[in-house]
Amino acid sequence: MRQLEKKDSMNKRIDVVLRKFHSRMISYPPGMCPLVLYRSLFQISMNQSCGKCVPCRDGLVEVDRMLHSIIAGMATMETLEEMRRLCQMIAETSDCAVGVTAANLILDSLTEFGDEYVSHINHKRCEGNVTQTIPCITMCPAHVNVPGYISLIAAEDYAGAINIIREKNPLPTACAMVCEHPCEIKCRRGMIDDAINIRGLKKYAVDQVSADSVETPPANVRTGKKIAIVGGGPSGLTAAYFLSLMGHKAVIFDEHEKLGGMLRYGIPEYRLPKKRLDEDIQAILQAGDIEVHCQTKIGKDISFTKLKEEYDAVYLGLGAQIGNRMPMENADAEGVIPAADFLQDVANGRAMDLTGKKVVLIGGGNVAMDAARTAVRLNAETVHVFTRKRDDMTALPSEVEGAMQEGVRFRTLLSFLNIEVDKETGRVSAVWLQPEIVGEYDDLGFVKTEHSSAYPYRFKCDVLILGVGQRSDTAAFEKEGVPAERCRIKADESCIVEGMEGIFSGGDCVTGPSTAINAIAAGQVAAENIDEYLGFHHKIKSIASPAPAMPNNCVPTGRAEIEEVDPFERKTNFDGVELLMTHEEAMREAGRCLRCDHYGCGNMVGGRGE
Amino acid sequence: MKKEQNSINITIDGKELSVKEGTTILQAAEDNGIDIPTLCTYAHVNDIGSCRICMVEIEGYDNMFASCKEIATEGMVIHTDSERITEYRKEMLRLILANHNLDCMSCPANGICSLQALCNRYEVKHSTYQGHRAEFSKKRPKLDSNPYISYDPSKCIHCQRCINVCQRITCNGTLKNSRFGTLHMVDAPFGKDYKKTGCESCGTCAAICPTGALTLKRREHFREWETKRVLTTCPHCATGCQFYLIVKSNQIVNVEPADGPSNHCRLCVKGRSGSFDFVNAPDRLRKPLIKNRETDEFEETTWEEAISYTAKRFMELKEKYGGEALAGFACSRSANEDIYMVQKMVRTCFGSNNVDNCARVCHSATVAGLAKTLGSGAMTNPIYDITHDVDCILLIGSNPEEAHPVVGMQIREAVQNGTRLIVVDPRDITISKDADIHLKLRPGTNVAFANGMMHAMIEEDLIDHDYIRDNTEGFEELKALVAEYTPEKTAEICHIDPDNLREAARMYATAEKAPIIYCLGVTEHSTGTEGVMSMSNMALLCGKLGKSGCGVNPLRGQNNVQGACDMGAQPTDYPGYQKVDNDQVREKFEKAWGVSLSPKPGLKATEVFPAAIEGKIKGLYICGEDPIVSDPDTNHIIHALKSLEFFVVQDLFMTPTAAYADVILPAISYAEKEGTFTNTERRVQRIRKAVTVSGDMRPDTDILIDLMNAMGYPQKYMTPAEIMDEIASVTPSFHGISHERLDAGESLQWPCPEKDHPGTPIMHVGHPTRGKALFYPAAYKPSSELPDEEYPLMLTTGRILYQYNATAMTSRSEGLWDIAGEGFIEVNYRDANRLFIGDGERIIVRSRRGAITATARVGKKVSEGETWMPFHFPDSPVNRLTNAALDEFARIPEYKVCAVKLEKVGDWQEKVL
Repeated sequence: MRQLEKKDSMNKRIDVVLRKFHSRMISYPPGMCPLVLYRSLFQISMNQSCGKCVPCRDGLVEVDRMLHSIIAGMATMETLEEMRRLCQMIAETSDCAVGVTAANLILDSLTEFGDEYVSHINHKRCEGNVTQTIPCITMCPAHVNVPGYISLIAAEDYAGAINIIREKNPLPTACAMVCEHPCEIKCRRGMIDDAINIRGLKKYAVDQVSADSVETPPANVRTGKKIAIVGGGPSGLTAAYFLSLMGHKAVIFDEHEKLGGMLRYGIPEYRLPKKRLDEDIQAILQAGDIEVHCQTKIGKDISFTKLKEEYDAVYLGLGAQIGNRMPMENADAEGVIPAADFLQDVANGRAMDLTGKKVVLIGGGNVAMDAARTAVRLNAETVHVFTRKRDDMTALPSEVEGAMQEGVRFRTLLSFLNIEVDKETGRVSAVWLQPEIVGEYDDLGFVKTEHSSAYPYRFKCDVLILGVGQRSDTAAFEKEGVPAERCRIKADESCIVEGMEGIFSGGDCVTGPSTAINAIAAGQVAAENIDEYLGFHHKIKSIASPAPAMPNNCVPTGRAEIEEVDPFERKTNFDGVELLMTHEEAMREAGRCLRCDHYGCGNMVGGRGE
Repeated sequence: MKKEQNSINITIDGKELSVKEGTTILQAAEDNGIDIPTLCTYAHVNDIGSCRICMVEIEGYDNMFASCKEIATEGMVIHTDSERITEYRKEMLRLILANHNLDCMSCPANGICSLQALCNRYEVKHSTYQGHRAEFSKKRPKLDSNPYISYDPSKCIHCQRCINVCQRITCNGTLKNSRFGTLHMVDAPFGKDYKKTGCESCGTCAAICPTGALTLKRREHFREWETKRVLTTCPHCATGCQFYLIVKSNQIVNVEPADGPSNHCRLCVKGRSGSFDFVNAPDRLRKPLIKNRETDEFEETTWEEAISYTAKRFMELKEKYGGEALAGFACSRSANEDIYMVQKMVRTCFGSNNVDNCARVCHSATVAGLAKTLGSGAMTNPIYDITHDVDCILLIGSNPEEAHPVVGMQIREAVQNGTRLIVVDPRDITISKDADIHLKLRPGTNVAFANGMMHAMIEEDLIDHDYIRDNTEGFEELKALVAEYTPEKTAEICHIDPDNLREAARMYATAEKAPIIYCLGVTEHSTGTEGVMSMSNMALLCGKLGKSGCGVNPLRGQNNVQGACDMGAQPTDYPGYQKVDNDQVREKFEKAWGVSLSPKPGLKATEVFPAAIEGKIKGLYICGEDPIVSDPDTNHIIHALKSLEFFVVQDLFMTPTAAYADVILPAISYAEKEGTFTNTERRVQRIRKAVTVSGDMRPDTDILIDLMNAMGYPQKYMTPAEIMDEIASVTPSFHGISHERLDAGESLQWPCPEKDHPGTPIMHVGHPTRGKALFYPAAYKPSSELPDEEYPLMLTTGRILYQYNATAMTSRSEGLWDIAGEGFIEVNYRDANRLFIGDGERIIVRSRRGAITATARVGKKVSEGETWMPFHFPDSPVNRLTNAALDEFARIPEYKVCAVKLEKVGDWQEKVL
């Protein structure tokens, strides 16, 4: 008698294990030996052998034995070569992908981590600094003490929580709204159920107590040093905040009417209400000696050389605000607008009325999503997003989902060919799109596409928004000797600009368009290094300390997500879309934190990951 | 329709080749004389690419490919040898060796081990790897509870040949893949519970294991280089498997299959493991024996004395009562040449036609029935033809997996490959679980069943009108008769579902190629001949005769039962079915043999015994049969034998029948003589002398020649080859057959009328042998003894895989006896419940003719009200119960139906019985 698969079959039970383990793979702790990881992965691969063919069945076991001897420091360089040859043989002779990929995994490791292999064999230790650290603190570019502030949220001390955040990041409100929360990626809670909703908890804190009502730490006595900060975005504001707390005078120059940079002029109101951003900025400006010159553009109103002469140090946090246009015919026709410009116009109150208009968006990043959702709110008849492939949707999944809910239409496997313009009006009238077909993967593991044999097709539109990246306005600085390449200032990981005394730079103008928290991290590093450059080692006083850690029962419990306003309702206006987390939810969520600052590697020397 | 195979062009090692589309690279290389080493592959059976030894490089690919499983495609450029390939092959051998128990000295596979040979070829003496399985495997128990086969996991290279052979050649599928943690395991069914695994102990797996993992236990006692091989024919059933006797120092030590036309390298457990123990059995008769009338004890004597005494006594009886009072039985297990001489002796010396063979009790109905309807009483198509590329098999009253195991394997293969199967059998035989339809009919209702099938075919107009018009006669009479056998009425008689019957009729009639295969379930009835004719009626109705994949195919029971009938060991026929009452024929034989012959058809074997009791038969010569065990109603047979004045048995062993003889003449077995057997598909195949057994035994033909001379007939001495030449000279259908042709490698199926005739694989091609085939309308008649109040259950008898007939051969194989050595009776659970009989309980089975004990096997295999017993076992001699009711044409007894009752047994009864 034939049977359907049993409800509790071995395969299904194994799938449950794998599903549960999946998050454990993602939350693989930072600071581990790559060879040990490879051996774990290799063993999984090896154990997938069905046992049919000799190379896979018997060969992989020998590879594992060699790998073990290398990891354990019992092997010689000959072993390494022998292992390479055996893997090569297995990869070339295996019958199916199980053997081939297992052997290739190790061959790849030899290319990627050759230095680590040599270190194991010759030095009997791991290469470099490989110490396990607290995942959230490590993964946050600004290294905010996440377990610390969550502990205070759990203790309902929201002001304390804000101050712990401020030890590394003076923009808790903005980050509570828009941070991409890399801190959550490897959250250890993922080993049990799912990452803590760290951003959600932060938002809960700033929703309970506004940042501007929470006193900042006392600033140091004045040092008499003056530092010019070009750009009032997240990076510049952060640098200004820390420098002023160290007793220096921070002078911010910004070409816009108000401070905030992309947080104000790039991120739409419905994601980050300007009122809430002002709470952070207000608190920063109150912290110490900060002077602000808005609507002042370097190179036009003041020269860079003058800044260099008049200030003890200069920090360039220009951001990347110029929307790219594609180098093609009609790219500047009427009705064609870069996403950044489009968003900035809206932020400045110069929004165009899109009623009855067909809008096409090219690009799949967060800026493109912001533009698309903004276009929806401007009453566009239709909004289409065209990308080559799903991988091109680099925006946060929640952003894409939000756009879809609000009626944005997504099409993939279409590449952008050209812009058609109405000859009489000069306005954009259509885009031409080339159907694509998926092809091989690139080196980073993303699928590539190529033109399919299908004919291109014409898609009518009234407005074309180009979400294809932004660049920095570096011309004035380059002219005066600041090294840059393709509109990016050349600065190192210490934010020191190559070959220029006293000039520091960080954020989007160095890295290209990125996230607020990366800009904040740069401002923080730059501030400390400027202090150091000026010959000081100023400390900033902590005015809050984490609550004592309590043991956790680790009962698998769901992650509290932030719910949003009904899409049909929210798309009619620019009001904030996120609903408030309830007290009950916030407390339960905060209670899920495993306090890795107390348990595990967090309380050993070097284990915090800052 | 099969697609025409195109040729494609490929290049191997620089040679441009044209090969058939669909060929593997390995095959293409082999066909063109390019050597690619292999280890795990076994063409068309195991092509899984496990060992990677046969790997090759294909231009355009970085990886290497196992040539055994890669299909060559147009333009492919292949390299079979390079430095890299050689090094990688060595690596494979090193990896295998690292996981192999290197106990080569005492390994039974030493000398035939493929791994050993490859390591020698590639100069791999030891492994550089540590391995991970060897130590673990050594700790696993050797599975060796099966008496013949053992599995040593430490020698297993996990090539899966055994698994695929079990799956695809024997099609039994009891060897399986399994897993233990990360390890692949071979689930070999040779452990303690081996009897429950479904394994048929055929040993095919052990024979193709490339190492010493799966071995026949007897391999421990010889090495390949010590032996010689003798090609011969299996002495068991009539499949006629070809095999080699492996001989070491005049002892048969093993059997290995040959690629014979009916077996293609398959063998069953009896063929492989039950074909030689008896040859050298210690209880072989080694001296002629004469019974001392006073002491009733046998006394050893000389051949001269035995021959002259026997001749004298027969001639005295002939003088006193006439030749009609003498009879002789040939044996359907002997060689054609032996049988020919027996009938010649009876006809020339006894002067009667009272000669018969044991086909009388198995397939005489076939011989009579098919001769009557088709003009020839033999299987119409070859085994291969009816089991390969056919659409539907109608299997009636045949349990090939037990009785013709190698045919069974091929039917299973056909079913596995998509052939539909209709099983008509009263029992849930193993193959019925794979049948599209199983008609579990009431024993003894075959004629009704066939009539019902034909009714349905005619009703739905599924019949072949052209064939009926051009090639048959009697259709209208048949149509009139079957008109009343509506499926509903038939179903009532047969205890089946009328819809199933209709479906079976449609399935058989509409199939393009559909053979009827039947066996003793059709013949062994008091209406056996009509049953057989009903089979031919069905085939004729659908025009399924005289073409490939069709026909009426009786599976004959014994190795040479076909030959025994062909050779004229029949009271009505000279060799080649030439009738004794035909004057022209008789004159021909009188001229050939130089004596005058009796024109009167003789008594059939089953008539000889009653005649002996009546005093009409006084002297009997039995060559190698054991009717006390094999014939129905044992007490009746004993009574008959006791009534004889003189009784001679020529045999290998002191059988129960021989015990009643006056003279016993020790003969030799198939392994000690030259000759031929004719298998069920009319194929005449050689047996060859492999060993000489010590003792005074003599070849049957020599004994018979001496006897004939002693009885006054001047029979010149002839070798078996010369005897075959004489057979050919007097038998038109054997005219072209000779040992010479067979030894030259020809395989001949009679009719073979000329020296250059290739034989006749399929009979009745063009038109039936009879000219126009006859529809014989047969009405259903109930069996002669049906259950009643006193004897409420029906008993059917049959055979099992592990034993053979009266067990003269198989009982000398200890292993077979270990696997299955106890008589049993299958009882339906409902009857058992009613009678308070438990599974495994020893019970009494009683019929009107006697009572025996047997172990009850309670289940659903037989239907309620029916029971089934094998007839092999001396502890349950079922023929004490069976009914000697005879068929009116063939005088075949009704083994398949008699009435019995079951009783619980007490200690005192066990002792008495």
